[in-house]
Parts: sequence; C-alpha cells; structure tokens
Amino acid sequence: MTDKQNSLFVFIEENNNDINLSVNIGKIHLENPVIMCSGTFGYGEEYGQFYNTALLGAVTTKSYSLKPEKGNPPPRICETPAGLLNSIGLQNDGIDCFIKKHFPEAERRGIKLILSLFGSDMDEFSELAYKVSEIKDKIVAIELNLSCPNVKEGGIAFSSVPADIKKIVRSVKRILKIPVIAKLSPNQHNLIEAAVAAEKGGAEAISIINTVVGMSVDIETFKPRLANVTGGLSGPAIKPIALAKVYSLAKEKILPVIGMGGIFSVEDALEFLIAGASAVGIGTANFIKYDIGVTIIDGLREYLKRRKIHDINEIIGRLEV
Amino acid sequence: MKLLNGEIISNERYSEYLYKMVIFSPYICREARPGQFVNIRCAPEGIYDPLLRRPFSIFDIEEKFNVFSILYSVKGRGTEFMSHLEKGDLIDFIGPLGNYIDLAGTKNNVLLIGGGIGIAPLYLLAKQAVVMKKNVFFAAGFKDKSYQKWEDDLIELKIDYTIYTEDGSIGSKGMICDYIRSNIKLFNGYDVYCCGPKEMLKTIQNIYTKSSNRVSVLLEEKMACGVGVCNGCVVKVKHVKGEFRYKRICKDGPTFDIREVIFD
Repeated sequence: MTDKQNSLFVFIEENNNDINLSVNIGKIHLENPVIMCSGTFGYGEEYGQFYNTALLGAVTTKSYSLKPEKGNPPPRICETPAGLLNSIGLQNDGIDCFIKKHFPEAERRGIKLILSLFGSDMDEFSELAYKVSEIKDKIVAIELNLSCPNVKEGGIAFSSVPADIKKIVRSVKRILKIPVIAKLSPNQHNLIEAAVAAEKGGAEAISIINTVVGMSVDIETFKPRLANVTGGLSGPAIKPIALAKVYSLAKEKILPVIGMGGIFSVEDALEFLIAGASAVGIGTANFIKYDIGVTIIDGLREYLKRRKIHDINEIIGRLEV
Repeated sequence: MKLLNGEIISNERYSEYLYKMVIFSPYICREARPGQFVNIRCAPEGIYDPLLRRPFSIFDIEEKFNVFSILYSVKGRGTEFMSHLEKGDLIDFIGPLGNYIDLAGTKNNVLLIGGGIGIAPLYLLAKQAVVMKKNVFFAAGFKDKSYQKWEDDLIELKIDYTIYTEDGSIGSKGMICDYIRSNIKLFNGYDVYCCGPKEMLKTIQNIYTKSSNRVSVLLEEKMACGVGVCNGCVVKVKHVKGEFRYKRICKDGPTFDIREVIFD
C-alpha cells in the first residue's frame, strides 16, 4: 500500500469512527444538539444560502400569534457592550401565513422545525394549537414563548405565573399531543417553580434563557435608545447569566434543559452542555457569524474526537463542582 | 449573497472623519448592482465588542480591477475600527444585500439628491445611469467641506452637478432642499433618487407631494442581521385603509417609493 492509499484509508476510518452527536431531550430526538433560537433564523431560506440548514439539530421558528402582529415602533435594536438590545415586539405574519407559506418552504428544505407560539391569553394559545393540528406530525415540537419581555399584554406579564404556565402547557399538549417546550425567562424570580409548573402541565423540556430586560439611554437627546424604552438583551454579555440559570435548573432534574444565551462558539456551546443543557440554542450569533450553526456542529465533533469521547451524551451535565 | 473575506486595497482618508475603503472582490464586482450594500464585521475574529456588523452601501465598482469601494464616516466604534485597517488587511463581509435599483425602463432623466454620507449609494447609481446614456444631475448637500475630495470622484463621471454646504465652504451656501424647491420645474420629468438625513428626506417628500415624478428614497437604520430574519431595521410604511405596517430596510428595501414611507 502506498503512502497515499494509506492516508486515504486512515481518513475513511476516522470518518467512520462513529462519534455520536444525537441527543434525546425527553421524547424529542435530534441528530445533534444544535438548535437555532426563535426569531434569529427565519425558516432556513436566508441561511440556506450559506449552508445546508437541514444539518441543524432543529430550527425554532419566530413566535407566531393567531393574527399578524405589527411589532413595536423603531428604533427596535441597539448595540450595547458585547450585547444587543431588541424590542421587535413579536412582529409576525400570523399562524395561517406560517402554515400556508413558510412551513412548506422549510419542509422542502428538510429542516427539522420547532414551532414557537405566542398567545396573549389562554384562549389564543388553544386556538393556535388547533390551527397547528394539520402540520403537527411534520414538526419536531412546539415551543411556547412564555417569556417575551417586549410585549405589554401577554408574554411575561401573564404567562410568568406558574399556575398559568401549567394551564397553557396542558391545553396545548392536550390538543396537539406532540412534545411541548416551555421557553422561560431569566427575568422571573421563580424559575424553578415555573419549570415545575411546566412539567406538571406535561412539557417535554425547558428552554432558557430568553433575553434579559435591559435599556440604554442617549445622553445627548435624553431619550431611550429603543422606542419601547426597555428591551431584551442578548449576545455574549448575557452568557454567564444564562449558564448559571441553565446549571441551576438542570441540576434540579425537573425537565431536560435547552440552554441558550450568548453562545458564539463551540467552546460556549460545550460550557452549556457540561453545565447540564441537553441541547443548545444559537441566537444572536447568527446575525454576526452566518455559518455559526455548522461551525458549532463540526466543532463539537472535533472536540469529542480530540478528547476521545464517542458520545456527546457523555459530557452533558458532567460539571465537576 | 456570500460570506466573504476581501483584501483591502486602500483605506484612504478623505477628510477628518471621511474614508474611502477599496476592497478586492471579483464576486461583488460581478454580482452587485446600485442600491445594494455589504454588511461588514467591525471587530477582529473572536472579539465581540462591537458586536454587530455594520451595513455600508456599495459606493463604487471598478470591474477592471475586481475592486469595489465603500465611503464611510467615522461615527462610532465600528467605523473607528475600520479606519485603522490598512492595505493588505482582510475584511470580513457579506454581500451583496438588499434589492438593487433597476434603471432599465426608467426615464432618461435622473436627479440624484444626496445629503452627507447619503451620497454614497447614489454615486454608483449615477455611474450606472451614465453607462446607460441617461442624463444625470447630482445635487449634493453637506455641512462643511469634509466631502471636498469626493467632488473629484464626481467630476470623473462627467455629469452635471451642484454642491451646497451649510457653511458655504464648498459649492454654494445653503441647503440642498432649498435648491431643489426653487428649481423643481427644471427637473420636471426626472426620476428622483434621494438618500440622506431623515429631516432632508422629509423635506423632499413634502416638495414632491403633488408632483408626478417618480421619487425613490434609499433608507438606512440600525441593522442586526442584514438578511431579513430579525425585523430590527424596520420603517413605517402606508398600508391599505389608512393603516400602516413595518417593512424591513435590509430585505424589502433599502429603496422605497418616498410616498409610501411614513416619517414620524
């Protein structure tokens, strides 16, 4: 065998060296633990120009409400040190438009979708669930946005109450009978209680963290930099907060945790997995590093190879305290 | 659009805060058209402060040399970072983004109204119009003489133009909008494209309220993704039945019919 043939052989062997990246988040099975966060990825159409978005563990859609939402007035975004403040206000085309227009496109691309839903009251969540019935077998899960800091009605105001969380999760789960993920906020004090409520309602997992409430002021005009005054902070600035929340919730073993908040590199993603996240969400990084999704998947594989670990599940929650 | 790394060919200082950066990119030269922009990373790899990319209109394309350029004014940390880049450095950008302006089938007379850095996207449009043998008039307004060197670029296009500065340091003294208002009849039958500060655009919208000219406006806003997913860079536009809605400048624009825009 020549050197060339030999090296080719080694190359093939290395690639066949099954490194398992697949994870189970309760009953949700993903080929890898990399999920794109709600509101940061569209439906794969835009990012499909940079890489094959079907390779991602899953893509969470923006949050859909029953009727189209205009969203908040501009300015809606503001950069802060290593962070991004936003007050988009859940602008969306409404669930009907998603089902008719965006869903077929995502399906055509082979994207594993987690559909994010947002309701301003219990009835809206139920009505949304009924609408989703027709596509429920073609999506991975439902994520309930119970924690948007940018809408006055609904969102955090009404759905941060544990009793409400339980009711909402239960009603959606009852109608759709597919896995339901509850997205919770770092802004509420009763995170554990909220997670217990979600579990009692039948949730499969908890997504944390949504953005952290923040603001910025223009000292020349004396005006807030966001028209909505306050917004949600994301990006590297919130990573340590997110990590601590993920750790504190995951160790309670109430439900599997999907960890997110400021993940910008494979190293960041690994920190979350080691701290106890069963999967990771990539959000704001998509705006800066357009190919971050595949970069992290490749990076996880490389890391495991380097550490001679065959299964990603071997590192999840292995934090040594 | 592609995620690219281009070599900086030059980063010339036009005046205290104004720079022209020339970047090597056969792809952008081939694909980009007037009105489009690039989204530039303004921090070294692995550094996330400043965090967001910055959008810049494509100012010029020189196909012969496979280079394109952007004109930028140093206003914050992102542009400050860019101003320190040198010839031979690589710059990380994505483009071309946004919808281009198609001059095919438009009127033969084109009026371009640029205020401050708003002249940047109009320059490439002027160049394109000249290639298409259209009659172009460029009306530019500035605060002071900081754009004096840009006049040399404009002269190369061999088009008619006028420059107004608030302090009279170059061109005529006064506001460019006053010039347009006083000479509106001169430009009857022109297609108008404008870009500049919001107050200027509002005035132009008022000037052209009752005219039949087609008036397009190129808008800018703080942007996050640049590709249409985040809904961060929206503008209020008229909708049916007296309603309004928000459109994304990056994906639905950056060029809009000035009559549909609601300037608050």
